[in-house]
Amino acid sequence: MTTLVSDTAALLERCHDAARHEGPAPALAALADGVLPGLLPCGPGGHAVVAAPTHAGAHALWLDGARRPLDPARTKIRAELDLPGGRVVLLDTGHAAPADRDAGAGAEPREVYGLGLVWLRLGLAQALRAACFTRLAHRRVGDSTLLQQQLVKGTVADVLAEHLEIQAVLSGARPGDLSPGMLDHLHGRITAADREQVRLLGAAGYLTDSPGLTAYVSELLAEAYAAAKEAP
Amino acid sequence: MTHLDDRLLILRGQIREWGAQVRPLALEIDRDPEAVRHHFALPAVRHLATMGVPEEYGHEPEKIGGHRFYGVSALERAVVMEELACADVGTLVASPGPLLAGVAVGLCADDRQKRWFYGRVLAEPLWTCFALTEPEGGSDAAAMRTSLTSTPDGGALLSGEKRYVGNACRAQLGVVFARARPGPLGITAVLVDTAEPGFDARPLDMIGLRGARISSVVMDRMPIPEDRFLGRHLTATRRGVWAFVQTFNVLRPGVAAIAVGIARAALEYVAEHRSTLSGAERERYEELVRRVDATRHLVHHAAAAVDARGTDGHLASAAKLRAARLAEDVTLAAAAFFGPGARLSHPFLDKLARDARAMEFLEGTGNMQRLNLFQGLLGGKVDRDRRRVPADA
Ligand SMILES: Cc1cc2nc3c(=O)[nH]c(=O)nc-3n(C[C@H](O)[C@H](O)[C@H](O)COP(=O)(O)OP(=O)(O)OC[C@H]3O[C@@H](n4cnc5c(N)ncnc54)[C@H](O)[C@@H]3O)c2cc1C
Repeated sequence: MTTLVSDTAALLERCHDAARHEGPAPALAALADGVLPGLLPCGPGGHAVVAAPTHAGAHALWLDGARRPLDPARTKIRAELDLPGGRVVLLDTGHAAPADRDAGAGAEPREVYGLGLVWLRLGLAQALRAACFTRLAHRRVGDSTLLQQQLVKGTVADVLAEHLEIQAVLSGARPGDLSPGMLDHLHGRITAADREQVRLLGAAGYLTDSPGLTAYVSELLAEAYAAAKEAP
Repeated sequence: MTHLDDRLLILRGQIREWGAQVRPLALEIDRDPEAVRHHFALPAVRHLATMGVPEEYGHEPEKIGGHRFYGVSALERAVVMEELACADVGTLVASPGPLLAGVAVGLCADDRQKRWFYGRVLAEPLWTCFALTEPEGGSDAAAMRTSLTSTPDGGALLSGEKRYVGNACRAQLGVVFARARPGPLGITAVLVDTAEPGFDARPLDMIGLRGARISSVVMDRMPIPEDRFLGRHLTATRRGVWAFVQTFNVLRPGVAAIAVGIARAALEYVAEHRSTLSGAERERYEELVRRVDATRHLVHHAAAAVDARGTDGHLASAAKLRAARLAEDVTLAAAAFFGPGARLSHPFLDKLARDARAMEFLEGTGNMQRLNLFQGLLGGKVDRDRRRVPADA
């Protein structure tokens, strides 16, 4: 098999690491540049959640495997959000992926991109965990801190166990090893754990300049690139 | 099961109708919470503007099906809140009215204070705010730092910071909780007129529930006359913590009802935009409907309990806990009926999912409700087993 991406393992690692330490935009940009340079990566419904430079530099759409010309007239920009690491753009291109996209060269980039997104979201989730940890450790309640409350410790531990399980599934997996169903499952687990974490931030995590906004984008990322199951 | 009587069923029908006029505002208010100013004439907004003012203070709402509704019972408010939250929760929380502050006034104010507060609210649509949370800790109200320092004329100077206070940046009146003395009995609430010097509130940019205009507030030596202290006529033990525990007990079913309304809105959206569901989808949908219905029963049961006895707030904690999670789960599950990227194609669904997340925080987080519920169980105040055998005791 010819490989479009020369060193997938290194790319996935870069993507995970950038998400964890820099933010969603650098990680998304690394993934897009590594797998689909010059293209606007879209999910099966024609939605994209990408770093601003990827949007600005794209010369064609990549619709879950199929290439199409850009169609700015039909594209709706749903949001442009300034997050740590840079701006992320959320788009609805108005084009769904064609049914015959599995033929030819579409499958491999899709597998790499799909796997990369789970790694990326895991990195974001781990960064969120660190942010929660720091905030709760500094927030006092009575003679102690919020982090030392047993209910809080329980939630943190549950989230950690979740992240460890997800990482165990991802580690060593090559593109195509994990079924689309498994990737969706992992996305669902990350979303559920992120929600637990965001609750721990209190109302501070509901501000637009908080880690809560990154968690929101992470959720939409999973939705945009979810495997198509239902055709309404 | 707590059944709604005919009166409340009539009210629900009317509010549902009024709600239909509010739904189209949803995305507008989400983008620009100040847009609500153009919609003061809507019957739903007018209803909220005076909801909670008792009859004896000159409140004469228009009759609905031959009845007047003053909004003084938790159950009645729960009915209204679910309907309007289902229509559009953003408009509900953006609307002027006495809401949270009004409940505190109803429970803790003396007659003169009520005349002043309700009189202002009835005179024109105005926003009120209820300022409890502080930047250093929302859940730990006992650690409150905002202070009231006595002045020789019997009044006090109010200083401190509040955060995440709904509508504070546009409120004309507020109830502010502050510490007059050290210790658990030292917390009290005062009525403020935000136009008076020393009150500065600024909006905070929120991910969801943007209609609520959540604000941060700084109070700098704001003069509070003696007659603005709530509960002056109550004993010291009833004034502070007791008063706000009751206030929260009474408010919580309303928040839970809002959460039920958000969940219902998501399901209505699915029903409206996915006319045919596959067998498996229909089963999934109906299970969500059952969950919403079950939680509504708990909410009404909790509201009836606090109406009967204001200190009976454990059911309200259970209702708030269940309803907040319900709203989050159902809004996410609703998006799944629309395939990949649903929230990017359907901004209304995205808004519901963002709004739902606020429900965790209003009137105490999930963990605070869990702890309260557990205390209720431990103290034999909730789900008491009349046939408990001694070995269990
Ligand atoms: C949309 C919105 C509207 C609001 N409106 C108002 C308003 O009008 N007026 C007002 O005064 N406030 C308002 N609030 C604030 C709200 O009441 C607080 O957010 C809430 O009380 C939690 O406080 P916090 O955000 O400081 O979280 P924190 O108290 O910092 O809590 C952080 C996390 O720790 C957990 N936690 C805290 N203590 C414990 C403990 N002892 N054991 C276990 N876990 C614990 C919490 O559950 C939470 O998950 C609003 C908030 C929002 C989001």
